[in-house]
Amino acid sequence: MRHTLFLFRHMWRAELKSKHGLAGLLLFAVATVYAVYQVVQGRPDPETWNAMAWVILLFTAFNGVSRSLEEDRPEVLAYLRTTVHPIHYMVARMMHHVAILAGLACAVAAFMGLLLGWATLDGARLAAFVGGMALTALALGTTLTLLSLIAARAGAGFGLTAILGLPLILPIVLVSTSLGDDLIHGVIVADTAIHFAFLGVLALGSGTLGVVLFPYLWRAS
Amino acid sequence: MIRHNEPTSLAVKAIRAFGLVLLAYAVAMTFLVPLGPGLDKVDVMRSQITDEGGQYELRITGLGTHFSTSHPTVFIAANNILDGKQTVLAATQIKVADDTHLQCKVRLPKVVPAMSWSVYVNGAGDGTVSYANGFYATGLEALPKSGLKDDRDVLSNLKEADLPFHFPFQPNIMESIRNLMLHVPMWFTMFLLMGISFAQSLRVLRLGGNPDRDRRAVAAVKVGLWFGVLGLLTGSLWARWTWGAWWVDDPQLNGAFVTVMVYAGYLVLRGSIQEPKLRERLAAVYNLFGFLLLVVLLMVLPRFTESLHPGKGGNPAFSSYDLDSALRVVFYPAVIGWMILGTWMYAVALKVERLQANIHEARMRQGTWRTQGMLPAFLLPAQATQGGQLEALFFANGKMPVVLGVAIIIGAGLTVWWVLHLRRLRQLHSVWDALPSSERPSEAELHASATTPLQDADITKP
Repeated sequence: MRHTLFLFRHMWRAELKSKHGLAGLLLFAVATVYAVYQVVQGRPDPETWNAMAWVILLFTAFNGVSRSLEEDRPEVLAYLRTTVHPIHYMVARMMHHVAILAGLACAVAAFMGLLLGWATLDGARLAAFVGGMALTALALGTTLTLLSLIAARAGAGFGLTAILGLPLILPIVLVSTSLGDDLIHGVIVADTAIHFAFLGVLALGSGTLGVVLFPYLWRAS
Repeated sequence: MIRHNEPTSLAVKAIRAFGLVLLAYAVAMTFLVPLGPGLDKVDVMRSQITDEGGQYELRITGLGTHFSTSHPTVFIAANNILDGKQTVLAATQIKVADDTHLQCKVRLPKVVPAMSWSVYVNGAGDGTVSYANGFYATGLEALPKSGLKDDRDVLSNLKEADLPFHFPFQPNIMESIRNLMLHVPMWFTMFLLMGISFAQSLRVLRLGGNPDRDRRAVAAVKVGLWFGVLGLLTGSLWARWTWGAWWVDDPQLNGAFVTVMVYAGYLVLRGSIQEPKLRERLAAVYNLFGFLLLVVLLMVLPRFTESLHPGKGGNPAFSSYDLDSALRVVFYPAVIGWMILGTWMYAVALKVERLQANIHEARMRQGTWRTQGMLPAFLLPAQATQGGQLEALFFANGKMPVVLGVAIIIGAGLTVWWVLHLRRLRQLHSVWDALPSSERPSEAELHASATTPLQDADITKP
């Protein structure tokens, strides 16, 4: 745990050292929301709003996980291999991605609210919606981390992550959108618990799989 | 190098022959076993509502029935809207037009126990056939206490069914129930092949070292993907004439589509890595990740949600209610037969992979390596089908043309696969034979399939 947290802190320091990294992601999210705002001209109907929110989150998430890492440099990778346990590394990387994606989810939600309104959401349902977005970020982060690392090892970037990742995250998106749909149509928050449970199970399952499988990626061939 | 020209053992040949026999049996039964009688349609021809109640004239269309010889009696039944208790009512003035058409009259009081009535026709030979919720008592009022007299004595002298071996009639599905023997085994076979691929990928990661394990994994995926695409196409055709759309948003269908996409992604991933060792391992990791998630997504999640597709969310496929014994005696042999065919195709695909690898390696030795046109992994005839005539054609004859369409898709798909692979195999063999014998590895070399154990097997240590 100590090692993992150390790596996590290290990843954040590296992240903050290059300021354009996070700012670029934020800019992408804001620009996408703004483009949608321009296209729909004002307040879209709730169903469209819901679909937009998740699609924007999805694309932002793909951007968030498939950026170049410092380990792409062979000398850094070689150094880490000799010093770092792969499972510690993987857990730290997942935490890092989940933190970024959760932040992006909140940012997307905030900008959606600012520019496009909250559809029919208010009070507890709004809180549940933002919570659902954060939980989706958790599930997306754990699933996409392994795939982005596979793509990075294959020497192909964003395109391969999307090809490998999109089918696998489709179920997460289906659960999330139906959660959003329920909340928008006024289902009481307690009745949407099953969606949260599914998202949690998916996050846990893909996270475990990622941690179990990652050591095989870590090895030098 | 690995031996690619291993002779097939007698046991394997026997199993394959057995599989072909099962398939021949299943396909023959699929098309030859008659469909049991059933009701296709119930129309209200005329209705007359007065203060006393309503009188309805029903026209009943059967399929495979023998109204003109069976002396049918007609009765309708409804479940009380409050306690679900059934009320039965006999119809009067039954006029038989021909074997599949009859007309009758139903008289109902102003207040009925429920609005929706199921229609039953009983006759000698055909037994009782029904149409659930076939008749809606428009203009009347449904109340739990209607006081409508229950005609129980109608049920006391029903005639027994006397039918040859037949498939059960299901409204709307009708003849296309035969697709059970064609469409469903595609997915079973795909799961078997993906399971083989999963096991081989697991071995790649656990044991490593031997490129043949990776070749097994990819050969299984390629064949499995072929079955998956055939499953999608046949399912789509079947859905069009039972649910009314080529594709519906449904957890089971989404899962099937995702499966095919994930394995297509697997092939894309393989294509984008040049270094064989790295490719082997990355592909194996992705394969395991994909397969395990798919088991969750396809077999666990759909059971918790509502679905049109049988077998999911309160829509059972394998209960005694749905899959009757006549279907079972054909369905199970069909599944086993298709699976044996699938593994046979896997063996052929593996042979192609091995031969390709061997030729590649021999050429590398020779120093005259050149790229050769690879077959695309899947090439399927596109389905361009539109128009009202086709509509009518596929609805004709109890949807039997849908079964034919499904059989043609599968037959064509598998024929294309076999033609392509056998041609490829012959081509590769001729390339192999044309290699100068000095470059060709010796028999001994082929036997020694390199199984170098992993150097850094203890990967969990930092």
